Amino acid sequence: MTQESVLVLTLAAAIGTGTPLIFAAIGGVISERAGVINLGMEGMMLIGAVTTFLVDNKTGSPVAGFIAGGVAGALLALIHATLAISLRANQIVCGLALTIFGTGLASFIGKPIEGQGLTKSFGSLHIPALSSIPGVGPILFKQDVLVYLSWFVALIASLYLNRTRTGLSLRAVGENPATADAMGLSVVRMRYAHVVAGGLLAGFGGSYVILRIVPAWSQAGTTNGIGWIALALVVFASWRPLRVILGAYLFGVALQANFALQAKGITVIPAEFLAMLPYLLTVVILVVLTANRRTRGAGAPAALGLPFVRDER
Amino acid sequence: MKFSLERRREVKPWHLIGVPLLSVIFGTLVGGLFLEATGHNAILVFKTMSQTSYTTLYGIGDTLTAATPLIFTALAALVAFRVNLYSIGAEGQLFVGGIFASGVGIAVGTSSSALAIPAVLIAGVLGGIVWMTLPALFRAWFGTSEIITTLMFNFVALFLMRYLIYGASTYWRDPTSTNFPQGKKLDQNAWLPRFGTQSVHWGLVLALVTTVGIWFLLRKTRFGYQMKVLGDAPNAARYSGVPVKRMTFTVLIISGGLAGLAGASEVAGRAHALDPNGLAIGLGYAGIIVATLARLNPFGAVIIAIGFGGLQNSASALQSLGTDSVPSAIATTLQGLILLLALAGELFVRYRLKISKKVEVSA
Repeated sequence: MTQESVLVLTLAAAIGTGTPLIFAAIGGVISERAGVINLGMEGMMLIGAVTTFLVDNKTGSPVAGFIAGGVAGALLALIHATLAISLRANQIVCGLALTIFGTGLASFIGKPIEGQGLTKSFGSLHIPALSSIPGVGPILFKQDVLVYLSWFVALIASLYLNRTRTGLSLRAVGENPATADAMGLSVVRMRYAHVVAGGLLAGFGGSYVILRIVPAWSQAGTTNGIGWIALALVVFASWRPLRVILGAYLFGVALQANFALQAKGITVIPAEFLAMLPYLLTVVILVVLTANRRTRGAGAPAALGLPFVRDER
Repeated sequence: MKFSLERRREVKPWHLIGVPLLSVIFGTLVGGLFLEATGHNAILVFKTMSQTSYTTLYGIGDTLTAATPLIFTALAALVAFRVNLYSIGAEGQLFVGGIFASGVGIAVGTSSSALAIPAVLIAGVLGGIVWMTLPALFRAWFGTSEIITTLMFNFVALFLMRYLIYGASTYWRDPTSTNFPQGKKLDQNAWLPRFGTQSVHWGLVLALVTTVGIWFLLRKTRFGYQMKVLGDAPNAARYSGVPVKRMTFTVLIISGGLAGLAGASEVAGRAHALDPNGLAIGLGYAGIIVATLARLNPFGAVIIAIGFGGLQNSASALQSLGTDSVPSAIATTLQGLILLLALAGELFVRYRLKISKKVEVSA
């Protein structure tokens, strides 16, 4: 094994840090493109993480754990869909309720396993040839299989939204549900499907955290608020899946640089101020997008947050 | 059979009270079943909860103390939500309110109480307002989503507060606490006096007075009337000359000030110092739940806040039940559960379920 430079190691770690964000934020993009904002993402990630932990340790299969985490996230998203779409509840409050419920439930379920470690996980998968490229290889191609899966998910989501008929319909549902309805699309069915798919991806994000980042359950620190960062990333990426990758890795680099600087005892900028950066950056980007007349509402689905009721337009 | 929803022509008062009440009852039942299913003694849990929070004098005192910040943050949420501004920034505004209040408290604590207490409270309000100013400006003039900006600012405020205590030796940190950094204590003159069981402080009275004030603002003033028009029919408001931008900004600023007051009340009434752990327990987010359950009614918010305060307060007692110990997270789980049920029930306040026997002929 060759000795990698600190820079390469930091960047490789940043990819890992960004991966759960990619899963969750793509989930957010898909849900929001259908017109449903999901503030329950943090709760879904936590439930996904704790489920993954339990299933993985029970079955000894990280694959089963990963899938179970996604399913758990999807189930919670189904509650969100039922309340926000069928029962026309306020999406903001509903999502917040799910985060509170999910956080509580995850730490309740996780209490007996607090501090325990994960026994089995995914290892790194070195891609032949590509992984031996100096610099780029160790950063991008010596990752685990889920990192490659996250790229695949982002690519598929991008193609789906921009190049398929259903993707086009989805955008119609999020931009102008009344027109979509008049076109004969089922707004309710489309929204349900995409909110649940979004929850599945958020659950995967939580799974990744427990499988690859902190392989032990801790009720306070497992997702550490990254569900909220994922929500910000959706805006940061102006609702485009491929930009999510870029944004997620930027966040990853910021976080890892923070760790690396701290480890070296470099304290030019206090750690807390570095930690604020991603949040401030998101606000700046959102404000610039909305303040500029040309880009106002860039990418933001017009009907985001509004329930659709056919007979009461 | 076919189910359809029909909008109610009028909402009867019992619908408004019945739905939250039923949500609490169902929430308790489902929570109880869940506890039994996970091998806990549900009866014992609920008995302990009522003893530690609702039926003993000390319990009620602790519950009221826990409810005090929730009343403020619920008011903060409800004024904004009434005009369809979904600020979730009370969390961060509470932190900054706490930072301002403790900063001023440390500085003026040695002067008389008559001077120090109002100064601390005003500082808290200012802190909340400062933290809301940018999101409010962006929302009113650019249309930037207040949901995202206020949420992001919560995290910035959280890190700022942590920095002031854990990050460096700042003005807010007790210089004698080197191993376990703590906030510098305010001088006694800046404390809100206590009464009753010695845990209830004047913040509660302030919260009740503020509640009446907000009710007055909403129901008895021209501003409140304009808010109602803006909330119920934004277009009508625009055409009838309601200054929408200015209203949006002002409402958000009021919301921020109320959340800041929550921080000041916690600092001056309970912790007597800037205590990052005591403030960062989701008081802002819980306020949104309280406001929603209260259907954005200020007096309803007080009642719900007391109920929720008790739930929060009983959590630690449950954890110390010995062999029957129940994770304290049960309190959060129950809160979330009750809110979800209330949201589902809300539909039946506004709509009637119509069941028609006729089978739809499928094409």
